[in-house]
Amino acid sequence: MIKLENVKKVYTTGEISLTALKGISMEIKPGEFVSIMGPSGCGKSTLMNIMGCLDRMTSGKYTLNGRDISGLSDNELAEIRCREIGFVFQSFNLLPRMTVLENVELPMVYAGIPRKERRERALAALEKVDLGNRIRHRPNEISGGQKQRVAIARAIVNNPSIILADEPTGNLDTKVTKEIMKIIQKLNDDGTTVVLVTHEPDVAQYSKRIIHMLDGEIIDDKLVNDRKIF
Amino acid sequence: MNLVENIKMAIDSIMSNKMRSFLTMLGIIIGISSVISIVSLGVGGQNTITGEFEKIGVSTIRISVKTTEAETSDYITYKDIEQLKEKIDYIKYATPIKYQTGVASSEKKSKTAMVYGTNEDMIHIDNTEILYGRFFNRIEFEEGRAVAVIDETAARSFFGTSDAVGQTLNIGSSTSKKKATIVGVTKSQFEMFQNMADEEELPVVVYMPATFLDILYSKDSRISELYIMANSKENTEAAGILAKNMLMNRHGNRDRDVYKAENLMKQLDQINTVLGIFTAFIAAVAAISLLVGGVGVMNIMLVSVTERTREIGIRKAIGAKTSNIMFQFLTESVIISCIGGIIGLILGIAGAYLLGQLAGITPSVTPQIVIVSIAFSSAVGIFFGIYPARKAAKLDPIEALRYE
Ligand SMILES: Nc1ncnc2c1ncn2[C@@H]1O[C@H](COP(=O)(O)OP(=O)(O)OP(=O)(O)O)[C@@H](O)[C@H]1O
Ligand SMILES: [Mg+2]
Repeated sequence: MIKLENVKKVYTTGEISLTALKGISMEIKPGEFVSIMGPSGCGKSTLMNIMGCLDRMTSGKYTLNGRDISGLSDNELAEIRCREIGFVFQSFNLLPRMTVLENVELPMVYAGIPRKERRERALAALEKVDLGNRIRHRPNEISGGQKQRVAIARAIVNNPSIILADEPTGNLDTKVTKEIMKIIQKLNDDGTTVVLVTHEPDVAQYSKRIIHMLDGEIIDDKLVNDRKIF
Repeated sequence: MNLVENIKMAIDSIMSNKMRSFLTMLGIIIGISSVISIVSLGVGGQNTITGEFEKIGVSTIRISVKTTEAETSDYITYKDIEQLKEKIDYIKYATPIKYQTGVASSEKKSKTAMVYGTNEDMIHIDNTEILYGRFFNRIEFEEGRAVAVIDETAARSFFGTSDAVGQTLNIGSSTSKKKATIVGVTKSQFEMFQNMADEEELPVVVYMPATFLDILYSKDSRISELYIMANSKENTEAAGILAKNMLMNRHGNRDRDVYKAENLMKQLDQINTVLGIFTAFIAAVAAISLLVGGVGVMNIMLVSVTERTREIGIRKAIGAKTSNIMFQFLTESVIISCIGGIIGLILGIAGAYLLGQLAGITPSVTPQIVIVSIAFSSAVGIFFGIYPARKAAKLDPIEALRYE
């Protein structure tokens, strides 16, 4: 599903260049649930963005669902983000002027799905994240936990094969974190591959595999023994 | 990504900042409305003038004596006019035109008068409608009888009634006046100008036999101006040439070019050309304000792109293509310009009618004006929207997402 071979990322700002990823190689298979951990600045988000086709790597090879990503155009990358990947961010990233329902419908607008079907699928996705009742509200009228549920509904509405969640519970308290993790675990149980960045070991325990990074390199990669399951 | 969705998003965005959107539109509104009112008034003015000319008749020629070059013997006589009508088949009507300013008064009122001395043919050439009585006739002209024809407006202000037939008017200069009997009342002419000023302030127009005018103002019977009307539009030029020829023969002044024949329709064309150029010029000046409006749209769209950088990042992250973002912003600028254009159109038409009312011109609002103005404002929206839209579309998703 995801195959990275010696992926490097160098940021160049003026004279200074910083190597954020120093040759990452790894493979993630369908149905996996991977946590990526590591200190701040070690390159977790950079890696996620490359895996999510939001950012381009400097060198290396990235194969997604059997397709080499390196040579693709901006539009082809957009197409992949639209249909194969669902993003969940720490800061939710909902569009403030749109209602919950409209936010969830938006990816389907870009996928060219007809209005009626959009409505049905958005409602179904909101149902999955237990948010069937606040669909007419705007993001600033709902709680952080609810916002993240909306973001998850938006991420899954185009039925992507992978969900990439960059610190999805970073802004949430323990109780809400559990609720969110329950939803994510359920999605993984239903067959979606999940990659999640987190600082909290507790959260990582909900996944099946933990990758540790340090200074742009993978230093540890192991399966979770005593996995927490809802 | 369909158009309906884009339009909906654009309207949402415009509505979310109504004041700013309105101010942005203002430039377009002012530009479009001034172009519309100027053009429709200009065209309306042309129509009005054409109408006035057509009242006089399309087959009318004015023959005048070049007074600066003419000798006494060159002036046209009443006999000349009779001969012109008799000998030249193409000429259907011919009348001398003599003009004097003077004073006319009834028992109630005294007013400045524009006194025209003509013969009985004038009514056909002038082509005005007689409301009461009749125009003066051949005999009254030949005998120089003290009769006059005035228009309805004058009749009302002198006698308080439109039907002034049989009433007496004192006409002449301020020092010597003669009584003249009103034999007819015509429909008011030059409505175009009458609306512009207070009816009471306008001088009245009085028609009388030219022979009576000679007596009234103690003038000789020399004529410096005459109108002829041809029997058909096609023969107009020929009638003019023949008339000029005959006058030269009769006065033996072939060697000197003292007569001028002007086709009134040609003059009309000239006036219309001048008016057309004038209208186009003012409209062009007004169109510059449209460009300024367009720059305003561009400015706000650039601000909007910057403000919504994060939104653009989010949209890209969830699958928006470059073209999707491009069209989203382009739609927004086109809709702003179009709404501005429509408001401008409405205000422009309203303004044209308002100003037209004051000036006595019926503005001519054609479907072309409407279509062109909407098309033009859309074009402004596209032209000035492309740069901001491209800027938005080209944003790097990661940088856009990181934007605070
Ligand atoms: N656009 C950029 N330009 C220059 N340097 C960057 C850029 N983005 C990230 N970096 C640098 O790359 C390194 C990795 O950043 P990254 O955001 O991937 O870290 P992270 O592991 O996600 O950290 P955190 O846990 O704080 O989110 C950091 O040193 C960061 O300063
Ligand atoms: Mg990060």
